[in-house]
Amino acid sequence: MREGYVLGLIPETWRFELTRFPWVRRLLKSRWMPLALILFNVFLFTVILMAGFFGGLTSPGNYNFGIMIVWILWWVLLMTVLVPVLSRFWCTMCPLPFLGEWLQRLRLFSVRYERGRNPYFGLNKRWPRSLSNMWLMNILFLATTFASGFFTVRPAATFVLLAAIIALSVVLSLIYRARTFCLYVCPVSGFQGLYSNFALTEVRVKDPEICARHKQKGCVVGNERGYGCPWLLLPYAFRRNTYCGMCFECLKTCEYDNMAVNLRPPGVDLLVDEKRGLDEAYKALIMLGIAIVFFVTFQGPWGTLKDWANAATLSGYLTFIGLHASWNLLVLPAIFLLFVWGARRAARQSVPLKKVYVNFSYATVPLGLAAWIAFSLGIILPNGSYLLHVLSDPFAWGWNLFGTAHFPWTPVLTGLMPYLMILTLLIGLLFSIDIALKIARQTFAEPEAAVRGAFPILGFLGATTLGLLWLFVG
Amino acid sequence: MRRQEALAVALAVLATVGTVVAALWYDRHRDAGRDVIELLAIQPKNGNWQPNEIRLERGRPVRLKIRNVETVSHGFALPDFGIGVAEIKPGEVHVVDFTPDRTGVFPFYCTVWCSPEHMAMAGRVIVTESVARASSDR
Repeated sequence: MREGYVLGLIPETWRFELTRFPWVRRLLKSRWMPLALILFNVFLFTVILMAGFFGGLTSPGNYNFGIMIVWILWWVLLMTVLVPVLSRFWCTMCPLPFLGEWLQRLRLFSVRYERGRNPYFGLNKRWPRSLSNMWLMNILFLATTFASGFFTVRPAATFVLLAAIIALSVVLSLIYRARTFCLYVCPVSGFQGLYSNFALTEVRVKDPEICARHKQKGCVVGNERGYGCPWLLLPYAFRRNTYCGMCFECLKTCEYDNMAVNLRPPGVDLLVDEKRGLDEAYKALIMLGIAIVFFVTFQGPWGTLKDWANAATLSGYLTFIGLHASWNLLVLPAIFLLFVWGARRAARQSVPLKKVYVNFSYATVPLGLAAWIAFSLGIILPNGSYLLHVLSDPFAWGWNLFGTAHFPWTPVLTGLMPYLMILTLLIGLLFSIDIALKIARQTFAEPEAAVRGAFPILGFLGATTLGLLWLFVG
Repeated sequence: MRRQEALAVALAVLATVGTVVAALWYDRHRDAGRDVIELLAIQPKNGNWQPNEIRLERGRPVRLKIRNVETVSHGFALPDFGIGVAEIKPGEVHVVDFTPDRTGVFPFYCTVWCSPEHMAMAGRVIVTESVARASSDR
């Protein structure tokens, strides 16, 4: 494949600036953006929390607004559109840290700017350096999936999860500065960060030279038009989407209109060799591992596994947790290590094993994302019609707001589903191969060594795809 | 700026407190003027209809909210009042409004083969004279 081109077709440097359109720039610079979206989602999540609270422990999930909107609509939209296309656009409009941020700023719409800075309410402490990575999010997300069997069938479980996230975000917002909760704690933040490296959208500086000459750096410290980057980035310098929450504050604060929202080819951030780490490598493997566990458990033909996950018996549930944790934390990373070791040996280069491991882990991101998209198809196509019901009767109180309360269960395109899953996985594999070959060239200095070193990784990707195809459609 | 801040705060309150209050008010308003009885459809081995016995007053409008809390389909029939719901799917709630026009004991049943004990899934509606009517008749 041609060097510097995604799939040999699109230059990696290709960008289309969306903010070149005056109305887009005006929209993003307005303080109602993203506040209006957040307020809408605050309303939506209030309904979700009510549905979870009143739905209790027994109500089956398919007719509960909270479960259907969160685990069918939101999750599927997140995996199929929001993250792969719009990067962390969910973080733009996420209502969960809304209260915490309101308390910090003591403003919803306007900007507090006094004596050359944005003052914040709360202790405004720095998050410990040792936790400034994805490890906590890896553990919290994995731990959350232990209860996935409850979240999808017991409305109260979804209520408890969301209420706990909101409460934690408020507490941490009062202790730690800015979006510390979103950056280092939120269970759904980590994978969005990693997978958004594949996304088609980015917020980036237009001309770094302008920033180099500009001393005020309103995008970092804030000014009267907006807050300093709540995600604690240097907007003029970052090169990966991982930790950019797309709040658009930098577009508001920049005096030179030097920040842009761009369309770009998929996956280019995965090639940026900057701040790569074992935490992100584990995140990539954990996400791939969980997609496999979820499919096997919730969409596979093995009822016993589903009973274990749903805690039909305590021993079964503990077995599920044990197998799930071991697979994601030990077995899959160990299998990957084996292939990475093979890659290093084949390349015959003295590159540290950890570096090879970390670098190649980014090649699994497109395939992992494809596995989640395929899994999501298996959720939305058979079950999407329940959404019409819960819109009319959100609290299961016998309402019929839009006349769709008794809309029959209507699976959509389920005959095409296996083919769509195959197509999705193959596209994911194609991108993973492309990334793996380029990372091999980054990792092993000599071109021939890179080709040799890439083969075991391609083997891992191919074997994983075959395994997923067998699971999904075999 | 101040006006927009106030608007934002108002919208936030509306989105949270307003939503809760509006939902509770609407539900109450919707049921106004009727006795509301929530009837849980549960197969016999798990406890049978809850409540199993429903006491009503003749001439007083009633709303039955029949909720299937199980993972099998149920149905509902109260034949003496010509009421039937063909299928109540797992998690579904069906609303039945009627006004009992005679006194007596009337059985109600599940009409979907829900379990081996399906035939035992039954309860009864007991309709009595209303207190007000009984005293005015005297």
